[in-house]
Formats: sequence, C-alpha cells, structure tokens
Amino acid sequence: MDVSTEIKRADLLRMYYYLRLTRTLEDRITALYRQGRIVGGVYTSHGMEAISVGYASALERDDIIAPFHRDMGAFLIRGITPGEVVAQYLGKRTGPTKGKDGNVHIGDLKRGIIGFVSHLADNLPVATGIALAFKIRGESRVVITNTGDGGTSRGDFHEAMNFASVRALPVVFFCNNNQYAYSTPLRLQMAITDVADRAKAYGMPSEIVDGNDVAAVYLAAKRAIHRARSGAGPTFIETKTMRMHGHSEHDSAQYVPRELLEEWKKKDPILQAERMLVQLGYADEATVRDVGEQVAKAVEVGVEFAEHSPLPDGPETLDGVFATDDEVVP
Amino acid sequence: MTTAASGQAITYLEAISQALDEEMTRDPRVFLMGEDIGPYGGAFRITEGFQKKYGEWRVLDTPLSESGFVGAAIGAAIMGMRPVVEMQFADFISCAFDQITEVAAKNHYRWGAPVPLVIRAPFGGGVHGGPFHSGCQEGWFFHSPGLKIVAPSTPYDAKGLLKAAIRDPNPVIYFEHKFLYRRIKAVVPAEDYVVPIGKADVKRVGSGLSVITYAAMVHLALEAADLLATEGVDLEVVDLRTLIPLDKETIFESVRKTGKAMVVHEDNKTGGIGAEIAALLAEECFDCLDGPIVRIAAPDTPVPFSTPLEEFFLPNVSDIVTAARKLAAY
Amino acid sequence: MPTEIIMPQLGESIAEGTVVTWLIAPGGRVEKDQPLLEVETDKVALEIPSPAAGVLAEVFVKEGETVPVGTLIARLADGADAKAGQTALGGVVNRVGGVVVTPMASPSGVSGHYSPAVRRLAKEQGVDLSLVKGSGAGGRVTHKDVVEFLATKSGQAGGDEILPFTPMRKTIAERMVKSRQTSAHVATFFEADFSGIARFRDGRNLTYLPFVIHAVTRAINDVPMLNASWGDQGIMVKKDIHIGIAVALEEGLLVPVIHHADRKGLTQLGKEVADLAARARTKKLTPEEVQGGTFTITNHGGSGSLFSTPIIVQPQIAILGVGAVQKRPVVVGDAIVIRPMCYLSLSFDHRVIDGATADRFMGRVKVYLEQSDWETFL
Repeated sequence: MDVSTEIKRADLLRMYYYLRLTRTLEDRITALYRQGRIVGGVYTSHGMEAISVGYASALERDDIIAPFHRDMGAFLIRGITPGEVVAQYLGKRTGPTKGKDGNVHIGDLKRGIIGFVSHLADNLPVATGIALAFKIRGESRVVITNTGDGGTSRGDFHEAMNFASVRALPVVFFCNNNQYAYSTPLRLQMAITDVADRAKAYGMPSEIVDGNDVAAVYLAAKRAIHRARSGAGPTFIETKTMRMHGHSEHDSAQYVPRELLEEWKKKDPILQAERMLVQLGYADEATVRDVGEQVAKAVEVGVEFAEHSPLPDGPETLDGVFATDDEVVP
Repeated sequence: MTTAASGQAITYLEAISQALDEEMTRDPRVFLMGEDIGPYGGAFRITEGFQKKYGEWRVLDTPLSESGFVGAAIGAAIMGMRPVVEMQFADFISCAFDQITEVAAKNHYRWGAPVPLVIRAPFGGGVHGGPFHSGCQEGWFFHSPGLKIVAPSTPYDAKGLLKAAIRDPNPVIYFEHKFLYRRIKAVVPAEDYVVPIGKADVKRVGSGLSVITYAAMVHLALEAADLLATEGVDLEVVDLRTLIPLDKETIFESVRKTGKAMVVHEDNKTGGIGAEIAALLAEECFDCLDGPIVRIAAPDTPVPFSTPLEEFFLPNVSDIVTAARKLAAY
Repeated sequence: MPTEIIMPQLGESIAEGTVVTWLIAPGGRVEKDQPLLEVETDKVALEIPSPAAGVLAEVFVKEGETVPVGTLIARLADGADAKAGQTALGGVVNRVGGVVVTPMASPSGVSGHYSPAVRRLAKEQGVDLSLVKGSGAGGRVTHKDVVEFLATKSGQAGGDEILPFTPMRKTIAERMVKSRQTSAHVATFFEADFSGIARFRDGRNLTYLPFVIHAVTRAINDVPMLNASWGDQGIMVKKDIHIGIAVALEEGLLVPVIHHADRKGLTQLGKEVADLAARARTKKLTPEEVQGGTFTITNHGGSGSLFSTPIIVQPQIAILGVGAVQKRPVVVGDAIVIRPMCYLSLSFDHRVIDGATADRFMGRVKVYLEQSDWETFL
C-alpha cells in the first residue's frame, strides 16, 4: 500500500478531520451522559473511528450504508450534523427520529442511511435487499453494511452472506472485530480466529485489514466497492481493532485485561493518522491544532442546537405508525 | 396462469394468481421472492408460468432462509421496489418473525422510511397438514403496530385485497386460506378493481345475531345461517376481510342492530383476535348487548394430524349452529 | 362386507380427481395393494393400490370422468372389512366461549339480572323492569320483552298495538313484495267436482291434498311449461317435479318441498305432507326440505276461503290455490245435482306463459281430479 500515490492528499485530510470530529463528538456525548444530561444508553466507536470513516469516505453520494451502532464516523460523513446526533441522544424533536428512537439509531433515506434495529445482524439481510434492488434496476450503486464480531454469530448474518453470494449482489460486508461482544471475548463467540474465514464458506472473497489504519480501511473498501460495482458480487472485509470503552458507556469493562487496552492505546487510529499525515508532509502540528479547534467548535454548536431544541409532545407518540401513499420513493 | 375473462368463474387460487400477474404487468417495481416459485411455479402453483413471462430477476427463487429473504425484501422495499414474498406455508413465517416485527413493522415509525412489502402466507387447516402446515398465525402479528393484516374469504376479495396490499405503502401480511384455494369459485370482474384494506363486508344481512368471522370460517357461518333460517334464527355474517386495521364501524353497526354477537375463527381461542373483538364490543357496545359475547375457535392446542383429531380441532357448522341457537334463545 | 373405493385427496389443495384407467376389469379379482386404477390430479397421474382383496363388483365412475375428492368410485365385494373411520366427537367444547348464563329464576319471576341493552331501554323509556315478564333463557327479560311491554302499554293507552317485526315476518314481507314486482301475476279460476275423490276417500286416511298434488304432477307432464323458472339465459323448463306445499304457522308460513312428487303414490304423498307440515310447525326441517321447489300448492280452503290470488314463490312461475271443498248445486247433463265442488285458483307468470297455456294446464288438472281411477294411484 503506497498511500502517497493511492490516496489524494485532500481525501486523507478530510478523513483525518472526520476522525477527529467523531472522537470529539462521542467524547462530548459521553461527558453529557456522565453529567446525567443524557439518559438511556450511549454507544461509542472510541478507538474504532478509522473503520467507519475509512469505508464511508470510499462511497459515492448515491450509495447506501446499512450500519450498526459503532459507525458514527459514517453518519457524519453522510451529512448528519453533530447537532442532530446530540438532539437524537437528548430525545428532541429535531433529531433524525423525532424522539421515536434513541442514541445511534439514526436513519435518513435522503442521506442514504438505513436506520438499524438493536438486533445485531438484522441490518445485513436488509442490505442484501438494497443491493438486490440496485441489481434488478441495473443501477451501479453499492451498499456497505457493518456488524460486530458478535453479530456474525446470528443466523441473519449467514443468511445474508449466502444470499448475497448466490445472487452476486453489489454489497460489501464489513465486520468490526473489536474482540468483545459486551463481555464475551472472541474465543467464546467463535471457534475460529479470523472472522474472514467465514466468507470462504459462502464462496465470497474476503480481506483482513488493520481497523485502526484509516488508509488501509479506505483502500480495502475501495477495492470491494469497485468489485461490487463491476458486477462481481460481494466482498467480506474484517477490520481488526479493539473496543477501547465498555460495550456502552455505563459498562466499565473490567473483564478486558488492562494490558490489552494498553497495547491498543498505542495503536490509536487518530495517532496513527497524524503520524501518517506528518510523514507524508500533508500536515504538521498547526494542522492538528486547527482541526482540533474546528471540531471542538462544530461539536459545541451542535450541543447548543440540541439543548435548545424542543422535546416532542406526548401525543406525538401516536404519529407515524403507518406510511401514507405520498411518502413512498417513486 | 389464467387471464381474466369477463363472466368466467375462477377459483380463489386463480384470483390470487391473476392479481399478482396484473400488478406485475402494471407496475415494474413489483417482483416476487420465495422458495420454489420460479420454474416450479410455487408449492401451490400460484406462480406457474410467471418466471417465463417476467424473467429470473422478477420471480426470484430464494435459498431456504425466511429471515434472510424477508429482510432482503424489506431492504428492496425501502429502496422503492414492491416485493411480494411468498411463504411456502404460513407456518414458516416464524423464521422471519424478527425481521417482520422488529424491522418492517417499526421502520416507518422510527425513521420515516416506508416499507411497501407484502408477505403472502398460505394458512389454515382442514388439509391433513399437521402441526406445521395448518396453523393460523395472525394472532402473533395482530399485536405488532406497524403491520397490516388481511384474510380474504372469496375470489373477489382475494384478488382485490392482494392488489390493495401491493399498492399499500406499508408492510401487509396477506393470509390466504389454503383450504379455499380450489374449493371456492366465483365470477370476478375483468376490469381492474381493488378491495380497500380496513373495510369489512356483510356477506349475509340478518337481524337476529351477528357472526363476526373471516377466511374459511365465513363459509361455515353462511352454511349455518341457511340451516338456522329454517328455524327462524336470522344470522348476519360479517366478513372482516382485514384484521388490522379492524373495521370497528361495521362490527359495531351490526351488533347494535342485533344485540347478540358471536366471533368465529379457526385460530386457537386464547388470545386469538376474537378476544380483542369481544373486548371491543364490551367496551364500546356494552349498552346494545342483549346477550353474552360468544367466541367459537379452535382449542388451545397445536393443529393435530390424524383426521378425527383435526375434525375435533377445527370449528364446524354444528358448533356454530348449536351456539347460535343457544344465544338466540337467551 | 363390501369395501368402498373413494377418490383420494392427492395434495393439500386438490378438490377433484380424474379416473384415467381402470386396471382391473369389472368383476375381476384384485389383491390387497395391487394397483386398482390410475388417477390424475393437477397433471400428476398416480396408481391407486387396492385397500383390500376382493372382486371389483361395482364401478361408479368411468374412465375420463372427473369427480370431487371423497366421491364413491367403486365397490369391492368379498373384500376384507374396511375399518370405518371413527367419527369425531364434535360438538361444543371449550372452543365455544361465552357460556350462556341462565339466571336463577326467583319465585316472583324477577331475576334481578338485566342485560345492558335491557337496562338502557328501560331507563330511556322509564320502564319498571319488575313488571316485565321474561321470555328468555331461564325466564330472563329480553330486549324484545321490553319492546313488547312498551307496545302493550302504549296500546292500552291509545287502543293501537305495535307488534315488533320478527325475522320471519321481515323475510316473508320482503319475499312477497319482491315476487309481485318480479312476476306478471295473472289469475285464472277453475272448479272441479270432487265427488270421485270423496267417494274414494271414504274410510281411508287421506286428505284432499295428496289427490291435488297427484293431479297437478300429471298435468305438469302434459303442460311442462308450468314447471319452469325465469333464468338469466332464458326460461328453464325443469325436468324434475318438486312440489312445494305452503304450511301456515302461527307466526308466518314455510313452504316445505316434496321432491319428485310425480314418482309418489297417494299414500306416500299423504304421509310426506303430514310429516313435513308437522316438522315445519316444530321447526325441525332441514335446508334441503325447503329448497328446490318447482311448483307450489297452497291449501287456503281450510277456513272456508273459496277463491284466492296467491303470490308465486320465486323463481317458480305458477302457484295453485285450493279452495274449500263445498257441496253446491251444479248442472250435470240437464239435471241439477248436489256435488262437493272445489274452486282451483291459479296465479301464473304472464312473462312466461299465456292464458291459453295456463287454462290448458288447469283443464288437465280438472280432468285428472274428476276422472282418475284412484285405486291405481295409491
């Protein structure tokens, strides 16, 4: 991989910006949670930002993502603002679901984001259906979907992988292997070491990528997307990383050995990206400071927007159970 | 495939087939998914000849993965297609319970994206099918806000309701009664028509007693009505046609007129939708009741296989007649 | 004991099957499990093995014929006993809810338990329910009881009485009006000399009606147009003769049908008329017994009526009224004699037949009534 030739400087800088924005936003949300200003669950992608930023940066505007709960970077790249994210967490009417759903269950058809459910891997069959629609209509669009190591234990994962392979659908399956599903370590989740081995069973090509190297994730995504768009079918990409926080922010994750966390702290994706940018001569200390200020401001603007937004009224509970004829995508 | 010829009687099964054919011709977004629906034409031959006419990508033979392909149908629907999924037997719908109730049903409520999906499910007993080919599953989904459920009893209703379901922007479960497939024949209009979802139909006007029922039981109720007419007991038979949303207006109008109500369904008694109708009548029609609300349903067991057992299990004309006589005399 | 061969159900939604080939000739012997015939359903042809050993005694369905599942298609003689299937216990079990509570009947007849509908009506109309007599289960006061109570109350006040509509009354009313609106009713009146019948009846347990029925069926054979109905595609002249007999009930009327009346003698007709009338009054008729009539006779002479213009029972095209049999002076030859005479009133549908046809029919009825050798028709 030669980043200097394979990735444009602007794109890399843009990815760095989103890594920082994701981190800062999620840290802020965690703080609001600890201050008791956010209720319910908080799920972050702390230490895993390179995955969502990497793959989302490789997509075109009219491609679709069918993410799971550790894809904040992808939401931001697709155009969800920090204000909308915090509003969603605060249950405000200005959030993407108007208070109907919470935390990272964000969905928006216009920005090509499929709102996922809490049942991990349910989004995978849905993603194959999206790809199926593209194929039937002869569109060269692609869908990327993501789940964790735990998600690959579910039947829906296998049914989706199988269907996508049988029909050579334009879908890219990502797996955020952060080594823990809540408190369950990998060895109790599966009898294999590399989740990517599963792809072989479905006749699907796969790649294993360093999930903390945004350039590597980006390039792997690009390869898979190209395959899909050319009609060659699905690819499975396992991104290896580490879940640096608990399953959710209430979880202190005492079950994770401290040494493991220490080891992976050194491989922090933002640190790695900074090192790479400096090495390539694309950025210096000033850039890092500037970006830091930019994202901090963006997050503060967002928090203020969200805190001043109205909550929905009780009776709004009854709205939206059914769609009306005028709403359907033509 | 059968084509609609004015004045010719068609079976309930042919009505379903014609509705699919006409909708697929009318709207290129409509496509079919299911097991063995391609060259084989479907377990009940409803899609015979369809793949030849519409091609492999609009009449898709799926792998044996109900959860996977219902999820895919959801994804395709979100992208603006109009998938019609065939469950080989309604009993297999339990494999897709998660996708239907958690993803499809809640999708629009949570993030505003419609899911114009139809799931066709051949349900009901009387065919020596045993516990896994004869059940009634409407009760499971009756309780999932966001789903619509229909259950026609005649060829006219079968054709019109399926068209309505396909044109509806919401997920609709279409319960077709396999016992009625070839046993009911009637003339249906050759021109395009739709039976609106959410409207019951009074199949027999009467003044003595209201029988509220649907699917195969409608025919038993009509038979009982003929017999009881000779005794001066005049049944009104209300065919619900749609289970969700329930046509409360028609139900209440009937019971206000007769003062006596009986619900007849083939599903197990406890927690069957008869319980909901009885509760509604007690809540909203209390003052017009001149007798207790009677429910006739199958006992709380799985559907048994052996003929005497299944005959005992299924409600029959004699049950309706006996109960009606008693209620009329109350 | 003969073994019955029925058309099997070869598929969940299959409702009929076609006999393709009989593999055993009639009278031929077949062993248990030996292929007996080939059946085709839904493009699949299958061999059916014989359920028992025996001789193919009777074949009811020919090769190439399609019959519904369950139809008896053949019988084996000398076969092993085919176990008759246990019939289900059936009936009302826990599948029927809403157990109908019968309130305790207290000495004064006041139960104290009133349904919501009853209470609402009583409240609206200011009725003291303890004064209302209950006709429902266990002496319960029904909604109808309160309505009737109100009617009699207001009746006492003004002298008029309101009788609430019963389902039967509503049905009759609807049908009568509809029939008048449908058919072009015209009447023609004949009289018949019943002396021959009266003589024959003497000492025998027969009413006049079987004789009339018998004469009518024979007249129908002479003038078949009277046994027709108005259909969508034309006038259907019915081959079978099913005579409906109007039976007066306290609350209305029912018309049970004597099927194939032309195949029955006087004795049998008499029995059937009595049986049907009795069961009509006790509400024990089956649906088949009130369906399928092709011509109706109404005996209105019971209380002295001479002539009538009865209303045709749709979709038939004529109805015969039989008046009272009365001794009257009539002219025979050039003398005046006393004979038991009866006026016969025919209402017919002028859309279908004209006066000449109707009168020809009536003429035959008269001849048969007056000139039959009844002994031969017992």
